[in-house]
Amino acid sequence: AAMRSRAEVDATLQTAKLNPAELLPAVHCLSFGPQAGGGECCLLQLEPGLCAELEAGRSLVIRGEKDERAVLCSKNKTYDMKIADTSNMLLFVPGCKTPEELNADPASCNIIHSQIAGFAKNYWELRRCRPKLKKLRKLLMEDPYEGPDTRKDQTSTFSKYTTEDLLSLIQASEVEILHQLQVIDACKIEGCWRILDFDYEMKLLNHVTQLIDSESWPFSKVPLCVCLEELGSLEPREMIEHILLSYGRKYVDDAGEVFFEMREDKICRAIAQMLLQNAVKFNLSEFEEVWQQSVPEGMTTRLDQLQGLALVDKSSRPETIFLLKVEDLPEDNQERFNSLFGIREKWTEVDITPYIQDLCAEKQTVGALLTKYARSSMLNGVKVYNSRRPIS
Amino acid sequence: VTPHLSHSGGTGALAQWVLVELQGEVEPRQSRELAGSLLGDLHYTCEGVPVLIVGHHILYGKVVQLEKPFAVLVKQGGVPQPSPAGPHSHYTVTALIKTKLLFKTRPKPIITHVPKKV
Repeated sequence: AAMRSRAEVDATLQTAKLNPAELLPAVHCLSFGPQAGGGECCLLQLEPGLCAELEAGRSLVIRGEKDERAVLCSKNKTYDMKIADTSNMLLFVPGCKTPEELNADPASCNIIHSQIAGFAKNYWELRRCRPKLKKLRKLLMEDPYEGPDTRKDQTSTFSKYTTEDLLSLIQASEVEILHQLQVIDACKIEGCWRILDFDYEMKLLNHVTQLIDSESWPFSKVPLCVCLEELGSLEPREMIEHILLSYGRKYVDDAGEVFFEMREDKICRAIAQMLLQNAVKFNLSEFEEVWQQSVPEGMTTRLDQLQGLALVDKSSRPETIFLLKVEDLPEDNQERFNSLFGIREKWTEVDITPYIQDLCAEKQTVGALLTKYARSSMLNGVKVYNSRRPIS
Repeated sequence: VTPHLSHSGGTGALAQWVLVELQGEVEPRQSRELAGSLLGDLHYTCEGVPVLIVGHHILYGKVVQLEKPFAVLVKQGGVPQPSPAGPHSHYTVTALIKTKLLFKTRPKPIITHVPKKV
């Protein structure tokens, strides 16, 4: 289309009965660019912080496979994406100046021919969400590491996952993924992330606790180098160090030597899991006795060490305890609550909290979740929560 | 599918565009194709009020600083790349939009002068 001339612009102003004296001298003649109708452009509404990230040159990534709802990830956060419709038409115009910009630049052209690059009646809206990390454990559990001696690893045809693989498969930001790998005690073996098979993990832990016992070390001061010396013939050194890192807190003393402060709660918890996984449920008092006897001498077992791992049934006679791992439960809020109410009809807040804590969004409380997904009532003077819907 | 929103230029500042928000639909005159056709003239009053003349209408609007800026994404025709997750589809962040010109007022029709009959 022919570009408009100043004369044509002035003629239009006259027809419109607008006084040029009341207007800034510059005019933008807007036309539709060659790609305008193509639909190649779309708008993404940015949450606070994302604009600055883009301007700093960092990328944003959309993640999700065909059967998953797309999420957008920055370096350290994850957002749900949703289309928002607007009843208005949104035109995107490059090179369009605001009054401030025109006033600031007295040399600006009299006529600015601006091409509209595209238009839309909707845009992508973002909402910060919990990273979808359940899949991470699921992928790594496809082929848990059972140690170097097994034939399995050499002939295994299972997929092994590098950091890059995980980044493209998991709907979470890089920082969130790397943090979760640490939380689940994953380790890198030959460039791929692995989770230890539980029995192998317990075998490694047992080597360490037996050594601590025979050397009479305090739990707070376990030397790395002696562990590697003494146990290096039994297991790979990387595995010995890994188990110490998983079950202890690393520190360096004044002499520069590396020690570990063993984590009593985590060790007791792992041993409880080892005992509980062998049966559907246990007599509580019998379990507590066996459990205390099974942990390293000097450690004390407490039921609160088992939050999110096991559940006590106080209504049965005698009282029982059974394994219930929060990581085995659904990731979606409604599905999680359905699952919990399917296991037990009425929950106290104390009992249910470890099983819903991870569902809390930024600044959301357990109380808020319970208000939304459960209904409360009183039972024997105690407040309990049950499902909002009838259990099928 | 892991579309990457990467910065188009690689280095250098992202372009700043402006959003023009209009009510209703924009249809080309004489049902010509949209591409290349004129929309109208955009003026600003000395006070900074945007005035848009579209066809026979005058629209008065206001300049709004967006609380939540927009990123303009442009789809890159499928760049096939081998990966365990499957083919990638790339989007490029072409520009940022921090300002919009909002035209919400009813358009004032321009009544052209009708010559009197003698």
